[in-house]
Amino acid sequence: MVTDDMTIVFGGNAGQGIRSTGLGFIKAIARSGLFPFGRQDYRSRIRGGHNFFEIRVARKQVYSHTEGIDLLVAITEDTVTEHLDEIVEGGGVIYDDDLDVDAEEMEEKGVKPYPVPLEQIAMEEGGAKIMANTAAIGAIIGLTGFDISYIEGIIEENFAVKGDEVVKNNLDVANAGVEYVNSHGYSSNYDLEPIPESGERMVINGNQAFALGAVAGGCNFISAYPMTPSTSVLEWITKHSKELNIVTKQPESELAAVNMAIGASHVGARALVTTSGGGFSLMVEALGLSGMTETPLVIAEVSRPGPSTGLPTRTGQGDLMSIVHASQGDFPRIVLTPGTIQEAFQAGARSFNLAEKYQMPVITLSDQHLADSVRAVDPDVIDMEGAEIDRGEFLTEEELDALEEPYLRHKFTEGGVSPRAVPGHENAVYKTTGNEHTEKGDITEDPELRTKMMDKRAKKAKTALKKDIEPPVAEGPEDAEVSLVCWGSTYGAVKEALEKLEEEGVSANLCHLKDAWPLPADPVVDFLEGAEKTVIVEGNDSGEMKKLISQETGKVVDHEILKYDGRPFTPEYIVQKVEEVI
Amino acid sequence: MPLTTLDEKPKKPQDVETTHPMEKYLRPDRLPHIWCSGCGLGTALNAYCHALDDEGFGLDDFAVVSGIGCTGRVAGYVASDSYHTTHGRAIPFATGLKLANPEMNVTVFSGDGDLFSIGGNHFIHAARRNVDLSVICVNNYTYGMTGGQVGPTTPKTARATTAPYGNFERPFNLPNLAASAGAVYVARWTSLHVRRMKKAFQKILTKKGFTFVEVISPCPTGFGRKNGQGEALDELKSYKERSVIRDGADPTKVDIKMDPDSDIVVGTFVDKEKSTYSEVKEQQLAGKV
Repeated sequence: MVTDDMTIVFGGNAGQGIRSTGLGFIKAIARSGLFPFGRQDYRSRIRGGHNFFEIRVARKQVYSHTEGIDLLVAITEDTVTEHLDEIVEGGGVIYDDDLDVDAEEMEEKGVKPYPVPLEQIAMEEGGAKIMANTAAIGAIIGLTGFDISYIEGIIEENFAVKGDEVVKNNLDVANAGVEYVNSHGYSSNYDLEPIPESGERMVINGNQAFALGAVAGGCNFISAYPMTPSTSVLEWITKHSKELNIVTKQPESELAAVNMAIGASHVGARALVTTSGGGFSLMVEALGLSGMTETPLVIAEVSRPGPSTGLPTRTGQGDLMSIVHASQGDFPRIVLTPGTIQEAFQAGARSFNLAEKYQMPVITLSDQHLADSVRAVDPDVIDMEGAEIDRGEFLTEEELDALEEPYLRHKFTEGGVSPRAVPGHENAVYKTTGNEHTEKGDITEDPELRTKMMDKRAKKAKTALKKDIEPPVAEGPEDAEVSLVCWGSTYGAVKEALEKLEEEGVSANLCHLKDAWPLPADPVVDFLEGAEKTVIVEGNDSGEMKKLISQETGKVVDHEILKYDGRPFTPEYIVQKVEEVI
Repeated sequence: MPLTTLDEKPKKPQDVETTHPMEKYLRPDRLPHIWCSGCGLGTALNAYCHALDDEGFGLDDFAVVSGIGCTGRVAGYVASDSYHTTHGRAIPFATGLKLANPEMNVTVFSGDGDLFSIGGNHFIHAARRNVDLSVICVNNYTYGMTGGQVGPTTPKTARATTAPYGNFERPFNLPNLAASAGAVYVARWTSLHVRRMKKAFQKILTKKGFTFVEVISPCPTGFGRKNGQGEALDELKSYKERSVIRDGADPTKVDIKMDPDSDIVVGTFVDKEKSTYSEVKEQQLAGKV
């Protein structure tokens, strides 16, 4: 029987090629027309320590990983110890027959042991131990009947730079892996049939999608300091900076990074800063400078669980409240909370328009789960040409030439936004300051002016809310028994939980806030008022979004499903908790 | 005892009964450590433990403070009072510790990115005020823990994930920075110079004032591989070939270059006496009401 949905896990130590093997396999899966969801689970260290790469393979688009492992590839003994209990009955373990693992224990649990001399095959057919991973892929192909040509294509591409011999060796090792499984009479319950009609897809993770979105949105400057799990955005943009003509700078700290971006933005660049929660905390003072001087600023905060260093390579949604309220004094900012590849791409592109239109900080808050999870999407989702660049109230050279009155950088206007001029024009030589200031940018302590300036800045958020903040994504039947509210990366697991709940006879719907701040209160109120029983699902321990909703709407979400163990939600976990609630 | 030959299968850890000679200064329950094979961090930590031992330190006599990064993990393996602080802030944390408990011997053990990039400001100010701290910087020219980004000591033209076209910046010459900021003891050794490193550690553990040792270490995973430096052993060999011991050398002339034929000047560059922050404070307060 053709397999609809299965999970394969590659496990080993850091530095054993687990991630690159997993990524290669995902690409092959995507090219076969099947739908992958890949999730990397790693520790904060470069070598050693159990790491795994989990790949869900389905016959339809999937948005989350799920519980239960069908096939486990164990490069180390620890992998078996760590995951044996998660393997479903009828599943199996592919492992090097040199490993000290208990095959009888597996069989008692209804799990099939598939010992394969992975290293020996790698040495004999390929001449290098590292190809044991390729042999394991061969074993998976042998067990699932997956068409080897997709893997061969990936091997040819991935190893082309290393020369024909390496390509040939890897192909031989993969084929020997298949051959070994077939000739030893190993069988499994799985059958991975390709879906040729699926068409072309792009294999991509959330950080890549955000980076591409930023490029599509006209990003031409990035200053950032390394911080897991945000670093790959900086690395990717830096790697392509020459061809994309983007100024990149890795300075000495997050303080320097954010102030560089504000400086660059002041003179007209579309400047991006990437970081995680700890780095964002260091940027908080500068956030206020951007707010006060009305300088556009785009920050991507890819969060991990805190406080402090917390769990550097894990996921969590504990930074929302901190971002919404960061920095002293009241000033507006926009916070986007994408939950899918498409939303991450759009956030990358949109944030520069929003920052320039409203001349304020715009923060995209994602997390390790969205950042590192790999999915296959329709290439049209990443529409590099389609992003419209809107620089807002931005005076052109001609407009500045024609300017007759003195230029007022912080001019009072109806919507609160003052037309911006890039320094360098004789008709618009101006100053601005982090102190409270007049329309001209001179320091003032005048109470009336101060009030007017505060009102002007606040007004911009109201305008943004009306014109640009997108309503939450609503899915599922309107008259559902239970209504789930979520934001950011949790959306994927909630979306899949709806289906599972329906299978169990529970009708559920969802409301996913992809734009979190200013909170789109009206549609949230509509959703909550129309709901029978409401539940917030979020990855923190205090119900941060729940609190923000109460604060902004006066509505209290009935129940909480919270998780703060550093691991992402699974649909199964949500289903179980929903059932406890209703 | 003959050395294990390369083709002999290594024994599994559980089959070997050994006690590390420096176990009393370590937390065996936290081992094996996280560092890659070939990294110089284990060597530096081992030399530090031997220095403690030779100077007769008990576990409650000293504290180790680290920042974030591969070197930042040192604090977690030392059995004394130890603190793993936030990125770049080991020195101010240690300063607070020292000022509040002057009896405690305080060592800051951290990496080049932690101490000289994000924490650079703290370093120069602590050296300027000559607060009584021993600072050990394991310099591997890169951010190892996050996968090999460019840092403040990455040599010009070296490659890193965030310097794919080669580093455009000039690196800090750490001994020169420490000396100019006011450190009373400044030395540099590589992870190959184990005995001399240990002696330098003994010196900073016993000398008053702001003392500094730079330990040049391979990062085969994050730096060496990207920069054609071969395996860790090749890097150690290059230290042997390139190192020139020059005690008392002018710190302004000990820059490290990418050129594989250039010298790595090592040695004790500064060893002078100067009243510490606390001594100055005592003197100035004496006689005041």
